[in-house]
Amino acid sequence: MDTWTLLLEGFATALQPVYLLYALLGVLLGTAVGVLPGIGPAMTVALLLPITYALEPTAAFIVFAGIYYGGMYGGSTTSILLNTPGESASIVTALEGNKMARAGRGAAALATAAIGSFVAGTIATVLLTLLAPTVARLAVSLGPSDYFALMVIAFLTVGALLGDSAWRGMVSLSIGLFIGLIGVDSLTGQARFTLGIPQLGDGIDVVLVAVGLFALGEALYVGSRLRNGEIPIIPITRGWRTWMRRSDWARSWKPWLRGAGIGFPIGSIPAGGADVATFLSYATERSLAKGEYRKQFGKGAIEGVAGPESANNAAAAGVLVPLLTLGIPTTATAAIILSAFQTYGIQPGPRLFDTQPALVWALIASLFIGNAMLLVLNLPLVGMWVKLLQIPRPYLYAGILVFAGLGAYAANFTVFDIAVLLVLGVLGFFMRRLGFPIAPLVVGAILGPMAEEQLRKAMQIGQGDPAYLVHSPFSIVAYALLALIIALALWLKRRRARFEAALPSIDTTTIAAVDEEIESHEPHPELDRGRLSTRAVPLQRGGADPDAEPGPGRDPDRDRDA
Amino acid sequence: MSTAPAGAPTGASAAARSARIEAMVFVGLLVVLAIAVLISTTTIREPPGSTNTLGARVVPYAVGGLLLLSSLVVLVGQLRGRFGHAEEGEDIDLEHGTSWGSTGIVVLSFLSLMLTIPHLGWPLGVAILFTGASLALGAKRWWLAAAIGLALGVVTQLVFGTLLGLSLPATGTLTSWIGL
Repeated sequence: MDTWTLLLEGFATALQPVYLLYALLGVLLGTAVGVLPGIGPAMTVALLLPITYALEPTAAFIVFAGIYYGGMYGGSTTSILLNTPGESASIVTALEGNKMARAGRGAAALATAAIGSFVAGTIATVLLTLLAPTVARLAVSLGPSDYFALMVIAFLTVGALLGDSAWRGMVSLSIGLFIGLIGVDSLTGQARFTLGIPQLGDGIDVVLVAVGLFALGEALYVGSRLRNGEIPIIPITRGWRTWMRRSDWARSWKPWLRGAGIGFPIGSIPAGGADVATFLSYATERSLAKGEYRKQFGKGAIEGVAGPESANNAAAAGVLVPLLTLGIPTTATAAIILSAFQTYGIQPGPRLFDTQPALVWALIASLFIGNAMLLVLNLPLVGMWVKLLQIPRPYLYAGILVFAGLGAYAANFTVFDIAVLLVLGVLGFFMRRLGFPIAPLVVGAILGPMAEEQLRKAMQIGQGDPAYLVHSPFSIVAYALLALIIALALWLKRRRARFEAALPSIDTTTIAAVDEEIESHEPHPELDRGRLSTRAVPLQRGGADPDAEPGPGRDPDRDRDA
Repeated sequence: MSTAPAGAPTGASAAARSARIEAMVFVGLLVVLAIAVLISTTTIREPPGSTNTLGARVVPYAVGGLLLLSSLVVLVGQLRGRFGHAEEGEDIDLEHGTSWGSTGIVVLSFLSLMLTIPHLGWPLGVAILFTGASLALGAKRWWLAAAIGLALGVVTQLVFGTLLGLSLPATGTLTSWIGL
C-alpha cells in the first residue's frame, strides 16, 4: 500500500467521534498549558503519562499529539501578551510580538502567529508524511553501531546546545545518564547503584524523572520566587476577522513559508530543537526585509513574529521524524513521548511503520486534525485563553503539585516513589537556580539505557573491537556531521547571545510612530485597525467592571487616540 | 532582549555572595557524586565467564568520568567567575530574594502525601497538599484553598480512580470507617 492509502486509513481511524474527542481534549489541554506560564509541553506530557496506564495506545498518542502541537500555539500567546520574558523557544516571538502588542497591534501579532503556525504546521506534517516512511525504509538496514552513533549525536547536541554553556549541559546530561544506570543491569543481572534498596532494582521510573524534574522542580522553583502582584496583560481588540490589515497579510505570507522551510529540516536533525530554528528564521527575515520594514525590526515588525512562529511549529513536526522512524528523541518532550511508547511495549524505530501501521497513521492523521482545531481555538477563541493567564498563581502551582503527586503515585502505587520524586524535584529546583538546563538530563535518563544496549550489541558483533563502532560509512558520516552541527550551532548561539545583549529598549510611542509612518505609505492604509481596546480583557482579576465588555464587532475606544 | 531586569544579578560580578556559595557547593557535591560513582563502579560484580564483551562496568565508568570531567570544568569556570544564570519565566521574580520559608512548606506539603495516601486516602491527601501549598504560595483565603483542594481530590479520584481504573485508595487506614 502506498503512503496515501495508509494516511487515508489513518484519517478513517482518527475521524471516529471518540478519537476526535481525544484530539480535542489534547489540543485544549495543550493550548491551556502552552498559555499558562511555567508549564510547557514537556511538563504536560509528563504529568499526563498516567493516562497511558488506562487508555489504549491510539487514544493516548492522539492526546499527546494534541498536547504537543497545542503547546506550541499557546506559548506565542503568552509571550506576545505578557510583558515579561518567556520561554526560550518563543523568546524571539516576544522580541517583536510583545512590541507589537504594546503599540496596540497585539491582535495582528496573535493572528499572524496562529495562521503562520497553522500553515507551517500543515506543510511540515505533509513533509513528515512523505519523509517518514522513506526514512524508516532506509533505517531498517542500520546496525547497532549506527544507532549508537545516532544516540551519541542526540546526547551531545542536546547537552551542548541548551543552557548557559556546553559544559553545564554535559553535567546535566551525565546526571541523566547516571539516573538511567540505576537498577539491575538487563544483560548481566547485576545491581548497579541501587544502594541495596529493593525498590530501586527496577530502576527509577521514567515517569518519576520527567515529572520530578519538570513538574515538581518547576513548581518549587517558581514558588520560591513567585512574582508578587499582577502581571500586566496587554489587552487585545475584539473582532478577530479584522485583526490583520491588508499589509499584514502581504508582509506575512512569505515569512510563513520560509519559516516552514527553515524549521522542518532543523527540527528533524538533532540540532538543539526549536530554539535554533526560531532564531535562524528571525535572522533571515531581518536580513531579507527591505527599507523601512527593516528599520521596524526591534520595534514590532510583523515578519519577526510570522517567521519564527512558523519555524517553531515546523520544527515541532520535524522532531517527530527521528522520533518515529529511528526512535531517537531530540527534545525533552520527544523523550517523554518515547517513554510513553515504551510503557505500551512499543519501540519506535524503523519497524514501527510495519508493526503498528494503524497506530502511526492515526497519529499522523490526528496531527492534521489537531492543527486545524488549533487554528479555530486560537483565532476566534483566543480571548478565552487570555483569561487563563489570570488564574491565581498559588492555585495554579498547587494544582501542578497535585498532578505531580498523582503521576508519581500512579507509576507503581507505592509512596516510596513520592520520596524519589521529591529528591528529583529538589535536584531540578537547584539546577534551575544555578543555570543548568533540565532537558539534557531527561533525554539522558530515557535514551541512556537504550544507548548502552546498542553499544553492547555493537561490541558483541564487533567482538570487542572498538573500531567496529566506526566501521560503517553511516556512522562515520554521522560522527562527522556531529562535529559540524555542534560547531555551527555554538557559533549561532554566540551570535544570538550577542544580538540579544545589544538590543536597546524602546518606548511604546516610538514603536507606534514607526508603525503608523509605514502604514501611511501603504496603497490602502488602514490606520485605525487593531487599535488598543482596554476593555476587551479586564486588566485585573476582580478589579475590572464585568459590564464594561463592549458589544462584539465595534470597539467604543477605537477613535480615542486616532 | 536583555531579559534580566535592572538591578538583578546579571553576571558573575553582580551575583550575590550567597548565590556564589550555593553554586560552588552544588557543583562540589556533583564532583563528590562523580567520584562516588567511579568508586562504587569498581564494586559492581562482573560474572566470571560472561559472554558479553562489554561488561556491566564499562558504561558506568564512562558516565562517571563524564560527570567528573564536566563538573570539574564547571567548577573551574565558577572559580574564574563564570556562574550560571537562574532560569527566567513569566511568573518568576529574579529581583527579589528566594522565599525559603514557603518553599519549605511546599516541600513538606508534598512529602505529607507519603503519610496521607495510605492513612487518609487519596482525596483527603490531595486536599491537604493543595491547601498547604497554595497557602504557602500566597493564597489569601484558607477555606477557599481547602474547598478547591478537596474538590480536586474528589474529581481526580473519580476521573483517574473510577473512570480510568487506576487503583487510587479512596480511603486510608484511618478513614476506612467512611465506607465508600
